[in-house]
Amino acid sequence: MNEHLMLTIALPLLGAFLLPIIMRSSLAMGVWIGPAILGYGCWILGNLWLHGNGQPFSIAIGGFAPPIGINLYVDAMALLFAFATQLLGLIFWPFRLDQDTPKRQALMLLLVASSTGLALSGDLFNLYVFYELVAVSTFGLIAASSSGAAYVATIRYLILSGIGSVLTLFGIALIYAQTGTLNLAHLAQLAPDQLNNDLGLAAFLAILIGIGVKAELFPVNTWVPEVYATAASRLSAFLAGLVSKLAMLVILRLLLLIFHQPEATQVILILGILGVISGEFAAWRAKDMRRMLAFSSIGQLGVIFIAVALPDERGVLAVLALSLHHMLIKSGLFMLADHWGGSLDRLRGLAATSPLAGGLFVLFALSLVGMPPLPGFWAKFTLITELAGQTDPLYMIGLLVFLLATVIEASYLFRVAAKMYQTKPTENVRINAPDSGGLSLTTASLFGAGLIAVTVMVSPLGEALQAVAAQAQDVDLYIQTVLQQPLGERQ
Amino acid sequence: MILTPLDELLLFSGATLLVALILGRGLAAGWMVTILYGGQLLTLIKMAALGYSDTIIHASINFEIMGQSLSWRFDALSWFFALITVASALLSSWFSCGEWERSFKQHGGNIWLYHSAMALNVFTMLILLASGDLLSLFIGWELVSWAGFLLMAMAGGVATRAAMRYITYAMAGGMAVFGGIALVYVAAGSLQYEAILTAVDQMSTTQLWMLVVMFGSGFGIKMGLLPFHLWQAPAYAETPGPGSAFLGAISSRMGLFAILLVLVKLFGIVNIDSLKIPFTLIDARDLLAWIAVFTIILPTFTAMKQNDARHLLAWHGIGQGGYMLLGVVVADAMGGAGGLLHVFNHATYQAALFMAVTAVIHRTGTSDLNKLGGLVVRMPLSFVVLLVGIIGLAGLPPMNGFVSKWLVYRSLLNEGMPLLFLAAVIGTLGTILSVYKLIHNIFLGQLRIEHEQVKEAPWSMMVPMLILAAIIFITGLFPGIPLAWVASVQEVIGLPVTDYTLGGVESVSGSLDMIWVIGVLFAGFGIGAVIFYSAGRSKRVHQLDNYAGGHFLSADVRYQYSDNFYAGLMHLIGGWYRGSFLWLEKSVTSLVDFISLVMQGLYRRANAEFYLLSTALFVIAWVVI
Repeated sequence: MNEHLMLTIALPLLGAFLLPIIMRSSLAMGVWIGPAILGYGCWILGNLWLHGNGQPFSIAIGGFAPPIGINLYVDAMALLFAFATQLLGLIFWPFRLDQDTPKRQALMLLLVASSTGLALSGDLFNLYVFYELVAVSTFGLIAASSSGAAYVATIRYLILSGIGSVLTLFGIALIYAQTGTLNLAHLAQLAPDQLNNDLGLAAFLAILIGIGVKAELFPVNTWVPEVYATAASRLSAFLAGLVSKLAMLVILRLLLLIFHQPEATQVILILGILGVISGEFAAWRAKDMRRMLAFSSIGQLGVIFIAVALPDERGVLAVLALSLHHMLIKSGLFMLADHWGGSLDRLRGLAATSPLAGGLFVLFALSLVGMPPLPGFWAKFTLITELAGQTDPLYMIGLLVFLLATVIEASYLFRVAAKMYQTKPTENVRINAPDSGGLSLTTASLFGAGLIAVTVMVSPLGEALQAVAAQAQDVDLYIQTVLQQPLGERQ
Repeated sequence: MILTPLDELLLFSGATLLVALILGRGLAAGWMVTILYGGQLLTLIKMAALGYSDTIIHASINFEIMGQSLSWRFDALSWFFALITVASALLSSWFSCGEWERSFKQHGGNIWLYHSAMALNVFTMLILLASGDLLSLFIGWELVSWAGFLLMAMAGGVATRAAMRYITYAMAGGMAVFGGIALVYVAAGSLQYEAILTAVDQMSTTQLWMLVVMFGSGFGIKMGLLPFHLWQAPAYAETPGPGSAFLGAISSRMGLFAILLVLVKLFGIVNIDSLKIPFTLIDARDLLAWIAVFTIILPTFTAMKQNDARHLLAWHGIGQGGYMLLGVVVADAMGGAGGLLHVFNHATYQAALFMAVTAVIHRTGTSDLNKLGGLVVRMPLSFVVLLVGIIGLAGLPPMNGFVSKWLVYRSLLNEGMPLLFLAAVIGTLGTILSVYKLIHNIFLGQLRIEHEQVKEAPWSMMVPMLILAAIIFITGLFPGIPLAWVASVQEVIGLPVTDYTLGGVESVSGSLDMIWVIGVLFAGFGIGAVIFYSAGRSKRVHQLDNYAGGHFLSADVRYQYSDNFYAGLMHLIGGWYRGSFLWLEKSVTSLVDFISLVMQGLYRRANAEFYLLSTALFVIAWVVI
């Protein structure tokens, strides 16, 4: 089974290159290729999860054992996010047919392939390559799927992302100059001796800011509102829900394995706190649904950054819980908001015309603000008990900011909800609540159903996540798995 | 599996919610739901042993989630509050059946939503009251907050705005509690009550201070304690009639319940007493007492200025909460008993008052105190209920409000707190003045021409109102009945237990026997009646068969004085109404708005790359230095 894992990256890549050609000859065959590939990917990863022995393993690529060759590292956390990538890729598949379809679908496959690679890769340079691929396919997708405003937003994103890439590369170069290796396991081995210094810290910060562009890290996230508000909703959902989490995953991985300097976590914590403040406050004034969601996403990612700065296993658990929860919620909300562009006042009386959409919005909003017993509550509970346990007063500030942000979040989300449930229109305002398109509503309902399922099964899922977190936290296990693997298991 | 009585109660309550959800649009939905509330009350009565002892009944369900165990159980404290909750739900629901329900639907109300929201409120409150650890307490707390939001927001328009304000306050309170729980968890390593009880002894003063502030303000927001009181009156007043009776009776007492449980039972009033405020003579307990007293005075005098009967009552609801907290904070046998008894008494008269006002709205269509008057001749029974209610609210004999307030005053004097006593009396003075305005402007004086045809409220409304009025009088005559429950509650939360008799309390520092008090009072009434009837026959005249200023009156001449009530008094104290808290609230909102503007500006800037580079340079420079 393990050797099939490569296919989850290789097949979408292959599909991405072949799709335009196939589509030219047979559209009917072409449209099924993408979903089929992603479906197969889900199946492979799902099987691995169900039938694997729970132990992490590493796959060397190209016949050279790490640290010389490059490898994929598969532990429960990587598997989880790889699976989420393929699944969300399938759910948000851009099936709309027009002259751009081949381009769009090929880019989407590329995006999924590179995102999966981002989750699985065990090599710093490989990570960088996949990260660039994600960036390129994202630009293409935003530009290909939408309007003139989206082009402008893309340009901005492009420049920012480009500078970010340079910074990341600079950081990687620093590390390579210092240690002579880019394999994560090898780096983890060398880090206590060679990277536990100012140079290592500088390298980490450069990488943090570079990758932070995608992870919506505070000062480098100015592209977020415009892009999410103008790109197609399905794409925004994928970007906000998944890609930002993958970038976060990379940062978490680097932090756990290599960089143990207290300053590193401190910077993350401060930037996280600033992200929460800026995002939530900006969302409070947002007059447009999708911009509001974008700002709220910045705020939520800030909360996850605060969690990343937490030291021990429960911190990792908080990161995972918050990330998965936000993935579920934001995807659902962006799908709901598919047709809700323009002024928030348009949503007046929406619940009367579309009770399901109104109900789903309330459900998502409640979970987002952490109403028990919805899963958002448990994620936040893990976070705040962990925050309160730290001795550094900065964490206490983080806790207070988080609590304040939640109040503001509840205030603006329920202002919208109250608007939706308003029955009597004021003078001069006709009820012309937008119709929530059938498909996006169905997709949103899917996420709503998922949310309720998680609520019911929160206890076993929590335990499973705890195991995942414990495994991700274990640096020795990572080193051992990658570097001391018998030759026979290589493919 | 054998169901414990608590399981039965929760199942019953859940079933009520289900019935309301499924059949809430049906014909006799109101009656069905009411009968189910009756069932809940019976289950509660089955557990009556709780009210007279310190036993505990556990629920069979408990969970183990992410290393936390959740459990639910009832003790005397829960039972006492649950009794009030379910009884007021039963009577409010009864009140809403039949004619009120029909007229509500005619005016475009959503009766399904109303029944469901009520049932949800009761269900979540019972879950909160049954909480067996801090985590389940928080879960219940949040559920209650959101259920309350549903009931407050359902009327739309002004009500939704008030509810939005409420939920922002409630979220702030909830988050303060959430933070407090995190701190407790870290200090005690668990959220079980036993673990916390042992951990409290080892806490440092700073820790305890933080916890008292976080829990105190979090729970205090629900109680409407100063300075977090602004949301409550509009939110309760704009809720559809019977809903406001229910909310006014019990909803904000959930805050008191949580304060009793966490601050009094777990942290211990002695520990709170030891928290001194530096450079002053007062400690945390005095602070709480003074907050309670200002919560009595300011909202009560705000109530006096209201021109809408519902708002007037809702403002009093805030003020009366102050007496409860005051009694509990004094924390001797009498004060504790007074504070707790006032929860019960307040629920009875507040529900009766809101119902009476709703009955008036139902018949006349308005609760504007400047557009009513003279209704005593058309709605005499409602008048009696309102009269009984305001006597209770003002804390005068022979109604039950007198007993609880007397206990609180007595304890303040016994414990040597004359300033607090004086302040509490000032509050009562304001109460008396404003309830007189209420009854005068609605029922006394000149009947308006448009109300000539008004009829008495229908029996579906009248019966629950009369039941409440009877309870108000009977528990005023025999306060020993609720005092028995109160004594068990005191024992459970670790306060000194009061020595009660059927007619009041026995104490070396001053006893009260209401049977005697009322006996003397009625003897006085009897003498008055004898004089009145021995003076010969009185003649009944029409209200317009009268004259004023040398002129005969006609229907178009308004001689009822209702606008700018208490003009003379307002001339004296009017300058004190400065709206400082409104100003405070507005400035907080503007601050948030301003920060939001800045933050949005940050994201609107085009030169994002500049941020990136400067941040990178900054952090790298920081590392090197």
